[in-house]
Amino acid sequence: MHKIEVEAEHDILSLNKRLAKENREFLEKHGVIAINVMGAIGSGKTLLIEKTIEALKDRIKIGAILGDVIAKEDYERVARHGIKAEPLNTGKECHLDAHLVHHVIEKFGDVDLLFIENVGNLICPVDFDLGERYRVVMVSVTEGDDVVKKHPEIFRLADVIIINKVALAKAVEADVDKMVKDAERINPKARIIRMDLRKGIGFEEWLEWLRCVLQSRGE
Amino acid sequence: MHELSYAQALLDAVLKLAEENDAKKVTSIHIRIGELLLINPEQLRFCFSAISKGTIAEDAELVIEFIKPKIVCTQCGKEFDEVIGICDCGGIVSIEGGKDFILKRVEMEVE
Repeated sequence: MHKIEVEAEHDILSLNKRLAKENREFLEKHGVIAINVMGAIGSGKTLLIEKTIEALKDRIKIGAILGDVIAKEDYERVARHGIKAEPLNTGKECHLDAHLVHHVIEKFGDVDLLFIENVGNLICPVDFDLGERYRVVMVSVTEGDDVVKKHPEIFRLADVIIINKVALAKAVEADVDKMVKDAERINPKARIIRMDLRKGIGFEEWLEWLRCVLQSRGE
Repeated sequence: MHELSYAQALLDAVLKLAEENDAKKVTSIHIRIGELLLINPEQLRFCFSAISKGTIAEDAELVIEFIKPKIVCTQCGKEFDEVIGICDCGGIVSIEGGKDFILKRVEMEVE
């Protein structure tokens, strides 16, 4: 027996990168705008998707992939709105990856807009590109007004940052201005939306952003 | 705990390399991790030791080198240690690197 050293210089994320590229090429070829919806548990991700479907489903075709560790609740909620939806259970993982999405992506070649709801947390999903065009990160004031500052990486890579449940800010003593300032400091290019989905605050601004990105593909 | 995903991908790559070299045992694994990947080294070691049991990479030592991202203001050149998008001078801050997970080198025993 003797020892050898083998140089590798192998990118461990290369498989995910390759599959994300394939997903992205498929979506682009079919003119699908895919949005990776990330955010904290209970911040309102599923409700955002549900309300968006109701607002836009008469005009465009929407699909949704709903990621969760084991449950199918989010999928059932979204499928009730009569759109094409697929549940994706990660089993033990705290994030979706390009491989999981790759299994179902071909079912969505005929939609205009595809929501991919990630598993709820602000750390694990960050580094797994799914092949999406845009990233939306949603948090709410009830998670504490330091939630943005504590998770800079996910906000740095977001295209849209939504701070939800602003109508509850006073009750939970959260400073929404501080959250917005933290987000701007980390990511000055992102669209930052103050929202309260239950009260209808900020929802029109979200739809306006969506219309812009849909128009950019010739919608 | 996303470390499990990384540990699995790492083990797959290491075992493939070991097989290509007809190794009998993997003794140490050298990796380079970008700090922005938010990987906890203790959890990575724990996951790796759990999933490598019964393979020839069982008991291999994980040698981890962390790489800092380069965070610099594009206007005034100020450097930062934290993730930030805008400098006090108003300039946009660029962030490069810190996102890689590279298997550098593997030490193994062969006949």
